[in-house]
Amino acid sequence: MQLTGDIELGDGLPLLYIKSLNSIVCSDLHLGYEGVMAGRGSFVPKMNFRKIKETMADAVKKFGAKNVIVVGDIKNEFSDVHVEEFNEFREFIKFLREELEIEKITLIKGNHDNFIDRFRPALRFEIYAQEALLGDYLFFHGEEAPKSRGGKMLIMGHLHPAIGVYNRVGVKEKIRCFLYGKLSDGRRIIILPAMNYFAEGVDVNQGNVGEMAPVFNDMLDVNTMEALCLGEDEILDFGKVGALRKL
Amino acid sequence: MLVPQPRFTMIEYYKKPFSRSESLGALNFYIRDWFEKKYRDPTPPQLYSFKLVREKKNLLITAPTGSGKTFSAFMTILSDLMDMAEAGKLEDKIYCVYISPLRALNNDIYRNLNEPLDDIYKKLGESVKRISVAIRTGDTPQAERQKMLRKPPNILVTTPESLAILLNAQKFAENLKSVRYVVIDEIHELANNKRGVHLSLSLERLTDLIGSDFTRVGLGATLHPLETAAGFLVGYGDDGKERDCYIIDATWDKKMDYQTMCPVSDIVNASDKKIDESIYKTLNSIIKKNRTTLIFTNTRSGTERVVYNLMHRFKYGEEHVAAHHGSLSRESRLDVEEMLKKGKLKCVVSSTSLELGIDIGTIDNVVQLGSPKSVTRAIQRIGRSGHRFSDIAKGEIVAINRDDLVECAVMLDSAKKRKLDSFTVPRNALDVLAQHIVGMALTKKWKIDDAFALVRRAYSYHSLDRKDFMMLIEYLSGSYVGLESRRVYAKIWYDANEGAISRRGRLTKLIYFLNIGTIPDEVSVNVYGEGNRWIGSIQEEFLSRLKPGDIFVLGGRLYRFDHSREMKAYVTRAETKIPTIPPWFSEQLPLTYELAIEIGRFRRELADAVGKELRGVKGIAALLKKRKFAGGKTAEEILDSMPMDKSTKSSIVSYFAEQLLFAKHVPNDRLMLIEKTTDEKGERSYLIFHSLYGRRVNDALSRLFAIEASDMFETDIGIMINDNGFVIVTGAELKMSRDDISKLVSNVTNSDAVRIIRGNVRRTEMMKRRFRHAAVRAFMVLRNYKGKQISVKRQQINSELVMKAAEEISPDFPVLKETYREIMEDVMDLPRAREILKKLKEGEIAYEIIETPFPSPFSHVMVTFGEADVVMMKDRRKHLRELHKHVMQQISKRYG
Repeated sequence: MQLTGDIELGDGLPLLYIKSLNSIVCSDLHLGYEGVMAGRGSFVPKMNFRKIKETMADAVKKFGAKNVIVVGDIKNEFSDVHVEEFNEFREFIKFLREELEIEKITLIKGNHDNFIDRFRPALRFEIYAQEALLGDYLFFHGEEAPKSRGGKMLIMGHLHPAIGVYNRVGVKEKIRCFLYGKLSDGRRIIILPAMNYFAEGVDVNQGNVGEMAPVFNDMLDVNTMEALCLGEDEILDFGKVGALRKL
Repeated sequence: MLVPQPRFTMIEYYKKPFSRSESLGALNFYIRDWFEKKYRDPTPPQLYSFKLVREKKNLLITAPTGSGKTFSAFMTILSDLMDMAEAGKLEDKIYCVYISPLRALNNDIYRNLNEPLDDIYKKLGESVKRISVAIRTGDTPQAERQKMLRKPPNILVTTPESLAILLNAQKFAENLKSVRYVVIDEIHELANNKRGVHLSLSLERLTDLIGSDFTRVGLGATLHPLETAAGFLVGYGDDGKERDCYIIDATWDKKMDYQTMCPVSDIVNASDKKIDESIYKTLNSIIKKNRTTLIFTNTRSGTERVVYNLMHRFKYGEEHVAAHHGSLSRESRLDVEEMLKKGKLKCVVSSTSLELGIDIGTIDNVVQLGSPKSVTRAIQRIGRSGHRFSDIAKGEIVAINRDDLVECAVMLDSAKKRKLDSFTVPRNALDVLAQHIVGMALTKKWKIDDAFALVRRAYSYHSLDRKDFMMLIEYLSGSYVGLESRRVYAKIWYDANEGAISRRGRLTKLIYFLNIGTIPDEVSVNVYGEGNRWIGSIQEEFLSRLKPGDIFVLGGRLYRFDHSREMKAYVTRAETKIPTIPPWFSEQLPLTYELAIEIGRFRRELADAVGKELRGVKGIAALLKKRKFAGGKTAEEILDSMPMDKSTKSSIVSYFAEQLLFAKHVPNDRLMLIEKTTDEKGERSYLIFHSLYGRRVNDALSRLFAIEASDMFETDIGIMINDNGFVIVTGAELKMSRDDISKLVSNVTNSDAVRIIRGNVRRTEMMKRRFRHAAVRAFMVLRNYKGKQISVKRQQINSELVMKAAEEISPDFPVLKETYREIMEDVMDLPRAREILKKLKEGEIAYEIIETPFPSPFSHVMVTFGEADVVMMKDRRKHLRELHKHVMQQISKRYG
């Protein structure tokens, strides 16, 4: 689905493509997730990395992108780099370069990405703390409000947006979505769904999102944002979050 | 030349007791002397067992309480040890392991074994080495464990879980190599569940450790079929045949006297208040006639309610009447048991906690309030009464509603005819097996073939598929993750080329010790209403029965279940008056299949008789008055042979007559009645299936019919289930013709039931909860990691992630496969539901579609099942009364 002249949403994929940057943009991979869980006594089978690789391969094939931007939380742990995370992280970079022939990899650091700097020399990627202005876009992870006033559009991760809906028999289901809207200063903003396979998402039509992302405190009203949900191989426009709240 | 003889194996009843002198002659001199002074004569089971155990035969002994069951095993075992002691051959080795599922029972046994030993050694002095007994459970302090390791007891008293730990305790396991006898107590509490399955594998591991067979003695209250219980006890030999075992069934040697009681003369017409009052009056008159009465209710809340009412109505104090159930603290339960032993209480009320064989002193009479749902259970409970084995065990069942009345009447008639309902052993449970494979791999390197052969020696795994076994090996060796992660994920090392498994991972041993066992952690779930307001809490097991949209009662109000998250349930207030799930649903045991079929058969016979008798009489009153009937067996004749009081007889006859007059049909074992009707306000349509096959079968059947109906009519559907049938509830506007209903039946009978049920349960709470249990048992989600307890809430969240990934790997992923098996075979009874569908299809069971202006009498309890417990809801009873009034008006309009 074409969002703007320059941005296309991957139909059914939790990522987007920016033509002017020839780049795929995604967020919240939480690599090494299962390994960290296993280290705490829950042996969750590894599925996340496999699914992410499949998704990236699909996206590169579809858009022919040469660059990848990750808007934060590429790995899972808050503090140190877990060995399981490091393995998958290294594999991921290798996979992008060797299998998908990606030239430039840019990482906006998220709250889970401490200690990642030390791998930059070896693995050769661009790294920015919290936010970066690239072309017309201000990329920022989202656990802090953006500081820069630059960019025509803001691209954020961190939130894991989804909407909660009830199916016919009354079971609540969560559908991951992009949130698209406008800041009080007139700039556009799009919030990316999480790439992580296990992330159910936060149902933005029910909880209070202000606690999770300060951008909502004074710059942005979630109710005015449009929920663009991930269907099987399409984007399903569920309309404004405010309207979904009343469901 | 010698021709190898084929081993002739057998499990058979030993029916001829040995003589007194033969039996006593089997005992050691000192043991015999003590026994004769204390008891004089052996009890019936002992007249078999003394000699047979002395001959080292495997033995299954079932007998009621007070039959000297434990000594029937131990007198001979002590004799054997005493012989050794006298000959100076008794070493500090374990010769006998006693296993019971109850720690409380372990203490009783410890005391009971030391009593003769104390007496005997007082005489013998220190010239003969003392036979030692010790208890080893999770409660045993570290210092005592150390002592046991240095100086092992001759008789080790333990639990199934502790045995599995000991098998893996390297040094201690050495001490188990001398075991000659294993006694398993309360086998009826083990053979039908995963705890028993777990134990059966431990026994085979013990056999393997010793390198030869030991003598197995199983003790328990009655169960059926005993051949299966014996098979469970002994398992299979290397030749693939069951090991030998004699069965001694002394259940019926104890005289029993029991009957069904109807609290009022006509339960169909009596007012609610009257029934309530009469129930308590009946109970009180029984209590007054006896020294100590034990009352069983079907639920814990029922127990509390009865105690409260007895105290308030008849001025009993706490020193006279007490409650005993699982929700009470250990201390207060022990207090009650102590008071019972001392003969102080007039009456104790219990749900299930006093079913087990803990010593509770003398009970003169056992009353069951409401159907115990199983013939076997009824017999086991009644068997709790009678001081000595020679006393007559006395018991009554007081019925609480009309269906209950019929059920109890048939139940006790079956008991009289010794037709017990059967139990099943869970088969090939992969989660329990996973635990033991980890345990086995920890001890040594195993050839796959040897490990597989060992597992197949256990009864519960005799039919295990090699493919499933290998999938489990693959899973445990971490094949579902990449090589580099197996260090963390794998619990065993597996070499495919060599075909061998052994230990892997430095933490695995710790994981095994800290996470062993099959009983899931259960917690209560908090319930929140609109605006996240806390309303109360429900048991997790109850939550797992709820489907979104179900209506249930909490704190006297009705709520609709919306969804749950982790350990929280979210609900909204429900305006309707009809709960779809009664509060006791997860607590009350389901009616057994065999008994359900018996009731169906009884319905057919009695309806036939009543139908004939109704010809030529005007109305029910006339029928009851004039009892001159022609041809066939009369209702009187049928009922006279059954153990019941007069009121029960007349209530049952009028109940059947009412149904016949109103609906022309009484549903039975060969006729499924499908009744299309509405609730009395005409707001909802009911499609009532009178399928009397027990709740477990109906659970599966109702889902199949509801899914098909929902597809056919494209509408939302509610389901109500009980033992006697199920109801499909839709909006009143739905038009359903007879042809539609026939089509529905034909579609369901032709469907792929397993696939549909699998799809249906996939997203349910039950699946989520049961998957957690299986994942915890299979060490995939731990409850204790490196000594740190993991909360149930955390376990639940984590297991949902595991499930999400497992589904992606394969629908046959072992933990997933086991969860489906457990739901379809242990929770529901899909195999039998499929049999019923096959019979429906082939016409062996007929079905009849009827349309009624409102529910027929036989469906009243079904559509108002809040009544089926002593804790009744006013609304439900009012509703039931209204229904009854409608029916009677209709009948009198027709018949004057």
